[in-house]
Amino acid sequence: MSDTRWFALQPQDERATLRLSGAWRLQHLAEIEVALAGLSLPAAARIDGSGLTSIDSAAALVLLRALPTAQDAAAWVGLSEANGRIVDKVRSHLGSVLSVAPPRPPGALAALGHRALDLGSLIGGHVNFFGATVLAFAQALRHPLRLRWRELTVQLEQTGLMAIPVVSLVTLLIGVVITYLLGLQAEKYGANIFVVDGVGIGATREFAPIIVAVIVAGRTGAAFTAQLGSMRLTEETDAIRTLGLSPMQVLVVPRVLALMVVLPLLVFVGDVMSLAGAMAIAGPMLDVTPSAFLARLHETLDVRHVFVGLAKAPVFALVIAVIGCRMGMTVGRDTRALGAATTSTVVQSIVAVILLDAVFAVVMEALDL
Amino acid sequence: MVEVEGVVTRFGAQTVHDGVSFSIGRGTLVGLIGGSGTGKSVLLREIIGLQRPTAGRLRLFGTDMWSAPAPEVDAVRRRFGMMFQDGALFSSLSVAQNVAVPLREHTQLSGSTIDALVALRLQQAGLPPDAGAKRPSELSGGMRKRAAIARAIALEPEVLFLDEPTSGLDPITARGFDRLVRSLVDDLGLTVFLVTHDLDTLLGVVDRLIVLARGRVLADGTVAQVMALDDAWIREYFCVRRMGGDGS
Repeated sequence: MSDTRWFALQPQDERATLRLSGAWRLQHLAEIEVALAGLSLPAAARIDGSGLTSIDSAAALVLLRALPTAQDAAAWVGLSEANGRIVDKVRSHLGSVLSVAPPRPPGALAALGHRALDLGSLIGGHVNFFGATVLAFAQALRHPLRLRWRELTVQLEQTGLMAIPVVSLVTLLIGVVITYLLGLQAEKYGANIFVVDGVGIGATREFAPIIVAVIVAGRTGAAFTAQLGSMRLTEETDAIRTLGLSPMQVLVVPRVLALMVVLPLLVFVGDVMSLAGAMAIAGPMLDVTPSAFLARLHETLDVRHVFVGLAKAPVFALVIAVIGCRMGMTVGRDTRALGAATTSTVVQSIVAVILLDAVFAVVMEALDL
Repeated sequence: MVEVEGVVTRFGAQTVHDGVSFSIGRGTLVGLIGGSGTGKSVLLREIIGLQRPTAGRLRLFGTDMWSAPAPEVDAVRRRFGMMFQDGALFSSLSVAQNVAVPLREHTQLSGSTIDALVALRLQQAGLPPDAGAKRPSELSGGMRKRAAIARAIALEPEVLFLDEPTSGLDPITARGFDRLVRSLVDDLGLTVFLVTHDLDTLLGVVDRLIVLARGRVLADGTVAQVMALDDAWIREYFCVRRMGGDGS
């Protein structure tokens, strides 16, 4: 039962000798492990290593773990010098090798508690960062020359100009879809022209600001986190601080300011494009000609709806930019953390934008706007 | 074990290697030095099959890494370990999980055996047992390098390649690292090939030194032999030490 190609036990009594043979190497270790599991060795047995061509430290470890007898150096005979060194080394490490237990994962309740605390500190951190941003703004207002004009224009271009194509396309299609859905219902009552009323208010007051803010959260918020986060990983933000500059002034203020300027403009682009989309489908579907569409729009769309929509934009921009910058400035110092922070920025920004929009709806209603 | 034969490497018009040849036998600790831009790291990447030379032959254990069929190359990959300059530990895994990756991928050992082997590797690399549960980002530079060594030797490689093993370490940690590398050669019978700039590593532990300059092997021999050579670059390289920091 105990003879294999790796070892042989002879003679089968109290003074037995376990003869090891062959090359005990990691490639065959799974086989050796199984063979050793079926072996029981008398306490006084000897282990003869003269037949070993080689043994590596992994194999020595498995052997020493499987056979308590082997842990006594006196039980060994016939090992070559090189193999003996390896076995001795492993034996000297054995004590602590056996005592490593991985930490247990926390229970569900503890995990819930951790999550809640993490969320609390996340929001607290955002508020803190918002305060720091406001202070930095105040400084920039007092010393306008310290504002990074060059960085500001670069950000205006990247967050604004470059976003126009995607914003236009998406809002155009949203305009088409809303008109189509409203039109299906209105047609039944012959109320075709009232679709213009609905689309006019819906697009300018709600859909354009929300859709544009979500696009910008995914596009620009994520970019802020990735840019600032990788600068932190390469210690560039530390370098900025060491050179006597403030990362808040150099990096955060231009980004926040740029986005607050740009987002209302993008929302206006979104207003125009969604109405254009509505107009484009209103003709063939509802027999509302472009001129009739525009006349009706002019007649019924109160301009305050447009202003309410535009007024929300800077607030959305502030929230997106602050979250994006904060997540970037506080990213952990490894590559995985950067990816996680970027994803988190997008999720947080979109949730915050929609929450804020709900708050706006309630407040505006109370103010009769 | 490692044979490099007439390797030529060009990047565009720039020739980095212009016929580099040497071979390395079993159980030695070989150091490779050369000025910046002489393609030491490139040569290392070529030997382990990460980068293709323009011309020439590279063989590891007799296998040409660029013409052999994929299964053979995979088998060769299991026989050497590589430690990258900054460790290249997977940042999403703990140190112990990092070391366990090759064991889980390439062996059919039981979970408890793998855990014990991981603990042994951490020990062999000179890490305290509690380091295993930490993330690579929580370790100091020296510990990260040790963790990288632990992963590189996980599969009992016959050859270990080290890229600048002591760069960025303080002298005490660096000498500890030298002793670790030396003990891998002496106790485990590994062959180690390292690229370094650390004079103390060269003088302290290296058996054989290969000097790369002007796209060729400028010198090849023991440290004493290389130092005795009459070449401007070698003289300058070692002159800092000769001017006598160490009191001799």
